[in-house]
Amino acid sequence: MGCASSMGEGCHGGVRIAFRRRDNFGDSTKSLLHSCHDRLPRPTSRTFSAFAAKMPSARDVVYYLFHIQELRAIIHWKTWHKPVHERDESKESRDLKECYRFLDLTSRSFVAVIQELHPELLVPVCVFYLILRSLDTVEDDMTISIEEKEPLLRDFYTHIDHENWTYDGNGPEEKDREVLVKFDCVTREFNKIKDEYKIIINDITKRMGNGMADYAKNAGDNSSGVKTIEDYELYCHYVAGLVGEGVTRLFVTAKLANPALLQRPELMESMGQLLQQTNIIRDVWEDNEHKRCFWPKEVWSKYVDEFSDLFLLQNREKALQCSSEMVLMALNRAEECLLYMAGVKEQSVFNFVAIPQSMAIATLELCFQNLAIFDRNVKITKGSACQLMTESTQNVQLVCEVFRRYARKIHRKNNPSDPHFLDINVACGKIERSIESIFPTQTPRTLPHGADQTVAMDSEEEAKRKAQEAEAKKDVMYWALAIFATLGIITAVMVVAA
Amino acid sequence: MAPDKPRNVSTSVLVIGGCGFLGHHIVSQLLEPSTAKVSVLDLRTTHNRLPNCTYYDADITSPTAVREILQKAKPQIIIHTASPPVVNDGQSSAQRNGAKQLYYKVNVEGTRNLIEQAGEVGCVKAFVCTSSASVVHDTVSNLANADERWPILRAPLQREYYSETKGKAEEIVLHANRKYGDMLTVALRPAGIFGEGDMQFTPNLLKAYEKGQTKFQLGDNDNLFDTTYVGNVAYAHILAAVALMETHALTTKPLDHEKVDGEAFFITNGQPVYFWDFVRMVWAEAGDKTEPGQVWVIGKDTGLMLASMGEWAFWLAGGWTPNLTRQKVKYSCMTRFYCIDKARRRLGYEPRGGVEEGVKRTVGWFRNGMVGRGGEEVVIVVII
Repeated sequence: MGCASSMGEGCHGGVRIAFRRRDNFGDSTKSLLHSCHDRLPRPTSRTFSAFAAKMPSARDVVYYLFHIQELRAIIHWKTWHKPVHERDESKESRDLKECYRFLDLTSRSFVAVIQELHPELLVPVCVFYLILRSLDTVEDDMTISIEEKEPLLRDFYTHIDHENWTYDGNGPEEKDREVLVKFDCVTREFNKIKDEYKIIINDITKRMGNGMADYAKNAGDNSSGVKTIEDYELYCHYVAGLVGEGVTRLFVTAKLANPALLQRPELMESMGQLLQQTNIIRDVWEDNEHKRCFWPKEVWSKYVDEFSDLFLLQNREKALQCSSEMVLMALNRAEECLLYMAGVKEQSVFNFVAIPQSMAIATLELCFQNLAIFDRNVKITKGSACQLMTESTQNVQLVCEVFRRYARKIHRKNNPSDPHFLDINVACGKIERSIESIFPTQTPRTLPHGADQTVAMDSEEEAKRKAQEAEAKKDVMYWALAIFATLGIITAVMVVAA
Repeated sequence: MAPDKPRNVSTSVLVIGGCGFLGHHIVSQLLEPSTAKVSVLDLRTTHNRLPNCTYYDADITSPTAVREILQKAKPQIIIHTASPPVVNDGQSSAQRNGAKQLYYKVNVEGTRNLIEQAGEVGCVKAFVCTSSASVVHDTVSNLANADERWPILRAPLQREYYSETKGKAEEIVLHANRKYGDMLTVALRPAGIFGEGDMQFTPNLLKAYEKGQTKFQLGDNDNLFDTTYVGNVAYAHILAAVALMETHALTTKPLDHEKVDGEAFFITNGQPVYFWDFVRMVWAEAGDKTEPGQVWVIGKDTGLMLASMGEWAFWLAGGWTPNLTRQKVKYSCMTRFYCIDKARRRLGYEPRGGVEEGVKRTVGWFRNGMVGRGGEEVVIVVII
């Protein structure tokens, strides 16, 4: 699998964003969110093993002994987090139960936030997820020939309402093939949801299928991965921006988010872009191990001749500068993400969008000025994840605080010798300024009392003020004398004593 | 910061203080489209002279001198940028008192005289005045995202006499709007101007670099600070002049939400950065190689204590101010950034080029000045 196919391979990463296959923010999210769902059935042994694997190791114990704050955050989250809404299993059809089982099979960290969604959107979002996941599974499977794959991707949207449509062309190694083999469960549930949701899901499926087909077709001649920044953003648009658009339209249609979000499409685009770009930055080592590269050539070619050179020891400084440029690009999206989140009305929807965003800004901070991203997988600790989740399930103001905190952390790590030093600074400043404009800490009314008085500056006033100043100066002089005298005496005493 | 062409001013313009730091940038931008007839009034017109511009020497506090020049130059637009330099530290109290009197004389009396003469001479349609963003700020407390609703501060809330006189001058100018026939006025409040020819901001920073003070930082550096590249400030002045001329040509008064005359506008780069990072950017551009790990951070409280002790010691020794003053500590620890949406909306102002480009140009200019031209710039860096 060369870089060529990496484009294709990457597309699955798209769904990775909102609903990703590779877990983005550590398995912590899943297992922790899961722990609040003890009443939910755990249909597969896999889930159990994943959960069991989270039994603290000796290393964890030592780590949390020295990071009590993080331990506290974990306990806090486990004790206090209550789902906003819960599934009502008694009313679920057999097909729907099967859908939830697929959801649990295929998604790691989104399973819980989806299942906590408002009842109005619970099924539509679950079905939407499974459809995109299936699209992704087809796209990702290298055992399917391009002749078969391309029309399948492009026409996928026509199958989603066929109650008997299934597909078993996936290779036996494909771990999510079961969803496609039993896809009729999904289509039957799809047909039950409201028409206005169907139209949205249909439209996004069609566009994403076409986007994936284009990449799959170009995979042969696109030998060096993503070339320009424009390509990079377009790629992120197909795999993440479209998901953002789809869910936003669902939220607005369900009246759970401000319709103004649709008037400013750049906001939902940025939501997807920030998540996807952060993943691409964080996964750079792993992608390179798999001979894939999503960092645009336009960026890395400024620092090294070949992408893989970024990982060489002699290029450490160059690699760091290159990663700064990547972080800067993602960071510039943060302001619009905050504005987006301010437009979400319902708590479960807010949690759904805010948790990944907080994780993303924290991950971005972790990757910034961190050479470890070129040596291994990095991820935020479970303690930080818990703290972020607690903070992201309350309100926008608290999420703004998270963004401000991480913007400041990023700016503190910033190095003046880095070519992007000031741009990163400006980006952090932009985040702070935008928070200040959403939640002003001061207004003309909060200024000190009397600030709006206008004193005429005539000579009389001036003289009075001067007299007062002179008085104040005298006071200071006496104070100074007293202090110096005391200091002098102490010094003298010490000298004598010595 | 290659500016897109400024909006054309095809009439006679008089730039007061046109040989100063900001003034000569305005003159140079006015001359770019070259259909403007530009003249300059300044106390001394030996520095920063540009071709195709007429220069007049005069004191703006003198009614007769100003009237004479206005009658000669017959400007339709006046851009008033003249202001005495802010006194730096290391001065005796007598010098500081002298400076105070100078501020009042030039900023308040000078501006009042200019407004009166311009109003009475009859040909002036637009009067643009450079105010300062510090008129709403006491130079101590934090100011976050301040806009034009913030009131102008007066003593004792305003602790900087310089800012107080600027505030007074601004009121005189804005109060004169439509008072003298149909002469329109506007005031611009730039924040933290720096750029080529800068006599205060950048040279002070470069001096600190030369003294090897780059390994120190006062405060935690979470304070955002607005700066403005001089080219952007000059551009805003021209936009304001054009906007006043457009209003002047109208037969009806403009609506409140699009009014420019009689209004004040904050002007910045629109990119607040953390104070010490701006400073470090300047230092790094000048050649500093300090890594973030090498910086010794002095907390704000410790800094204030050290500064107080120093100030007292110096004061006892004869009324001089030391290098590290409480004011400096406070200045480098405070948040100060503004909202420039009003200027964006009503003047069509958009900063041309970012802070980084401005810093590169500025430091480059100083470096070239020091190496190439010798003389003058070296003196500036050393003295201030």
